[in-house]
Amino acid sequence: MEEQKKKVRLYSLTTCPTCKKMKKILDDHNIQYELIEVDLLDGGEQWVTSKEVKRYNPAVTYPTLVIEEVIMEPDEEAIKKALDISDDSGYIR
Amino acid sequence: MTSDRLYEILSRYAESQGIQLNNESEYVLDILEGLLTNESRYGYRSCPCRLATGIKEKDADIICPCVYRDPDIKEFGSCYCGLYVSKQWNEKKIKHIKVPERRSKERSGEQRDDV
Repeated sequence: MEEQKKKVRLYSLTTCPTCKKMKKILDDHNIQYELIEVDLLDGGEQWVTSKEVKRYNPAVTYPTLVIEEVIMEPDEEAIKKALDISDDSGYIR
Repeated sequence: MTSDRLYEILSRYAESQGIQLNNESEYVLDILEGLLTNESRYGYRSCPCRLATGIKEKDADIICPCVYRDPDIKEFGSCYCGLYVSKQWNEKKIKHIKVPERRSKERSGEQRDDV
C-alpha cells in the first residue's frame, strides 16, 4: 500500500462511542493512522500525552484527530499548497 | 450488571427525571459498556467520553450523571456524551450538534497521582 502523504493520529478513549465513530470513518476509508488510546496509558505516559493533546485541542477532549503534512524540502509550492496560501500570499481561508 | 440491564434501569430513571435516553439504542449500549468498564476500573461510573483520573474527588463532577448534564440538556437538548436527552431532541425538534465541553479546561487536564 502506498504511504499516505499526510500523517494522521487519533487520540481516543476506549470507552468513548464518539471515538469509535471516528475510528469507523477512518477504517471505512482505509486511512492509515496512529491510534493512541489515552485511557490505557500508564500515569506518566498519560500525562505527557495529555500535554500533547492540549497543544492541538486546548479543551483536551476526545476524540482528537490530528492530520499533519510533512515537508522536508524548501519547496515553496508544496508549503503554499499545504497551508492553502494563494498566489497573492494571503490565506485562502 | 450487564449493559442491557443497565439500559432498562436507566431508561426508567431518565423517565423519572422527565428526560429520556438517546433513542439510538446501539449508541447508548456503547456508552453503557464504557460506564461499566469505568466502574470496574475506578470503582465508579465516570463519564466514558472524558478521561478520568481514577481519583474520586477529582472525578466527582464527571460521575454519570455528570453535574453538566442538566445545563447541557437545557441548552442543547443532550448531555455531552449523548446518553441523556430531552424528548424534543429524540423527536429531532432540536438540531443535533456536538455539545461543547462545559467542564473547565483545568479540570479536563487534571492528572492521575502516579505520574
